[in-house]
Amino acid sequence: MANFVQLVILGLLAGGVYVAVGVGFGLVWGVLNIVNLAHGALVIVGGYITWQLFAALHIDPFLTLPVDAVALFVLGYVVQRGVINRIIRAPLLFTFLLTFGINLVIINILLLIFGSDFRSVTPTYSGQGLEFGSVVIPYVALTSLGAALLLAAALAFVLNRTRIGLAINAIAADRDAAQLVGIDLRHAYAVTYGLGAACAGVAGGLIAMTQAITPTAGEPYTLQAFVVVILGGLGRVSATVVGGLAFGLVEAFGQSIPGSGSVFANAIAFGLMVLVLVTRPQGLMGRLR
Amino acid sequence: MIATLDSNRRWRRIFLIVGGIVAAYALLAPLTSLDAAQSANVPLLADRLWFRIATIIAMFVVMATAWNIIGGITGYAAFGNVAFFGIGAYTTGMLVAKAKWPFLVSLPLAPLFAAAFAALVGLPLLRLRGHYFAVASLGVGVAVGELVQNIDYGGQPLFGGASGLFLPIYSIDNRGLYFFYLMVAAAAVSIAVTWWVLRSRFGYGLIAIRENEEAAAVLGVNTTAYKVAAFALSAALTGLAGGIFSQWNVFINQDNAFPIEYNVQMILMALLGGTGTVFGPATGAVLLQLLIQFLGGSLPITFDIPFVSAAARPIVAQVILGLLLVGVVIFVPRGVIDFFGGRSRLSLSYLRRSLRETSL
Repeated sequence: MANFVQLVILGLLAGGVYVAVGVGFGLVWGVLNIVNLAHGALVIVGGYITWQLFAALHIDPFLTLPVDAVALFVLGYVVQRGVINRIIRAPLLFTFLLTFGINLVIINILLLIFGSDFRSVTPTYSGQGLEFGSVVIPYVALTSLGAALLLAAALAFVLNRTRIGLAINAIAADRDAAQLVGIDLRHAYAVTYGLGAACAGVAGGLIAMTQAITPTAGEPYTLQAFVVVILGGLGRVSATVVGGLAFGLVEAFGQSIPGSGSVFANAIAFGLMVLVLVTRPQGLMGRLR
Repeated sequence: MIATLDSNRRWRRIFLIVGGIVAAYALLAPLTSLDAAQSANVPLLADRLWFRIATIIAMFVVMATAWNIIGGITGYAAFGNVAFFGIGAYTTGMLVAKAKWPFLVSLPLAPLFAAAFAALVGLPLLRLRGHYFAVASLGVGVAVGELVQNIDYGGQPLFGGASGLFLPIYSIDNRGLYFFYLMVAAAAVSIAVTWWVLRSRFGYGLIAIRENEEAAAVLGVNTTAYKVAAFALSAALTGLAGGIFSQWNVFINQDNAFPIEYNVQMILMALLGGTGTVFGPATGAVLLQLLIQFLGGSLPITFDIPFVSAAARPIVAQVILGLLLVGVVIFVPRGVIDFFGGRSRLSLSYLRRSLRETSL
């Protein structure tokens, strides 16, 4: 029983990171209709910013998260405005290839700057946790979950309560109508991608605290983000939160399968995704459109 | 107008002549013995490394052409075709290494297995459209590679596990030459199959599905059967390349039988050359693979990238490749066959028009 409780807790805590990875990806996909294959690379950029600030200036990693968000927002805004906007009307294959190209460029620039060594962020409190009998709750994971939920709430606030957020919602509903009422599409698209990148950056900061990162470590996060968004359902931040936590749980239980469960993590995730896609394409929380 | 047509024809003729000479040279030069070529100082095909590169190029011609059947003609953006390459490689690999079958007997089973698997996963997957199909197929590609590496049977890794699978070396004279021609034959088969598809009732059905699936269904095209057949055909050709690869390379593991980057490379090749055409993907495969090898410094004709040390070179090559990917997607969305084939002229206004068509 304690084992079961521990698994549920660890799964939900791990789910926090998946929420952070998923919300930005889901936003870009839902509004811009782009499956952003560079998402994982953006996550890793965030991770390196956190690592650099922690290693060079000894700033607490959680305090670096806003820096990640702002830096990645600027990067994302520029990339969308300068490059992706140019092919936004092309078939989906083109956006796939374009974002893959951006992914390749980012990863290899990181390799040139930082090399391929593993980097990890280890504040003094890492490895410690709250203990309830045999159930342990690590501090870092707990705070990460909190930060991820805060991030999701902030994103939902921006999307539903601010002027630019409403513009983004309008674009998602009907791009041409949004343009007719005077929304500057180029700017709004760039802001959307910037917000997505900012979320990726925060996710990267959180990831750097729990595992060592290298420039090439991003790809699994693109795939996981996709699974999370599919699980929850496209179009709402809250759905992605549910998807992320569900994914964390599935993974925790998958890894606990006796034998070699952990090596099948990707296979389990994708098996689950294909199952959801085929049986419930609108996701666990989604509405039929 | 007339001047444009003339110049288009001239371009087309130049392209055909140059392409023909290159192809003839690539195919015939190896026939002269390697040693003779080496002593006569014949460039390019004289050394074994280049020979290897030529075989790899032929392999990518197969993969890009095969992808074109599902991705270009049918319009389903498959991102996991490398799974079929790996399945083909492991089918032949297992039969030759574990069951001790002769290579040529086990090779035909590679496309068969790959096609059967494609039909099996295609039935549920091809119900999905657009992004959903693309990433679900990517997921299948990743998952299959992982399963093959990690499945145990009775405590032993069933398919060689993480340490991979070693095949006995195929004993034949001029092994390199043999596999080069085998791979070229596979490339010729895949191009011929594409040619046939585009002229058959089957192919018209696939194009109808690409243009408008509902309309195709209304017109009486059995869309499910057509899509699954196209997916299986694409898988069979890709599996054939995998089967040849496994015996040629003698060693297969998850990294060389299921490389995720192949997924993107074959699509980029088809796109660069021109999707939905017979020779476009093959042209793109030759151009892009030559460029990849050139940037990587593997070609006999090499160059120094300014300000870049030898150690950083492969990384810079990847950056250039990524930028090229971005450039191709933005500026030549219809592929180079569009102007090499004489349909349009490569000019500044062509690039500007391409940009305007898709820009916000």
